[in-house]
Amino acid sequence: MKLGIFVNQYKCTSEALDRMKADRLGIILVQNGIYYATVKENGKAAALLDKDAEFYALSEDIQSRGFTESDVDGKVKVIDYNGLVDLIFNDYEKFAWI
Amino acid sequence: MGKLTIGVFSSLVGSMTLDFAVKLAEAAKNKGHDVDMWLSGNATMLSKKTQKKFRDYSYLEGPVKDLIGKGMQVTACEACAEARGYHKEDTLEGCHRHSMDWYLASCFSADRVMHIGGE
Repeated sequence: MKLGIFVNQYKCTSEALDRMKADRLGIILVQNGIYYATVKENGKAAALLDKDAEFYALSEDIQSRGFTESDVDGKVKVIDYNGLVDLIFNDYEKFAWI
Repeated sequence: MGKLTIGVFSSLVGSMTLDFAVKLAEAAKNKGHDVDMWLSGNATMLSKKTQKKFRDYSYLEGPVKDLIGKGMQVTACEACAEARGYHKEDTLEGCHRHSMDWYLASCFSADRVMHIGGE
């Protein structure tokens, strides 16, 4: 199964995210979730980014929080709403909002 | 093209998640997909008419009316609305009210489903 998980908060992802497995796993960072892609913790990227998944972050939420694409970790692909629609229809099948 | 059903439970103005859902619906409609939006819990307030527009506040009545005009189906949970004290006559033109079976039927006929929980 191809599962897309939306993360819209920072620092309060539930245990569920750690337990989720899928043939193809995508983690889609929106709203405050984009801080996982832009903020370093003790000089290192967020631990979430170590997970075996493909990472995406919504450009509008990055910019509205004062970041630019150059602030985004290299593991994370920046997408806009159009890209998100394509992701939903073409790359993943099921979705969870955590 | 396909059909996307979005079920939203987050509150109007109180959280940006409802704004996210409306923007996603707009992007999907503009790409030619069909979109159903189900409003439950605090999200039912999105289907209440006469929302006032303030400068620094999120205002969704306008964008939702536009999307309804483009063919998006917006349906609010009747029980959730009545529980919040607003009735059929308070409902935004073009918005429907049903029990949750509408949402289930929409999910079963959709290509993709996104269920966005409340706060």
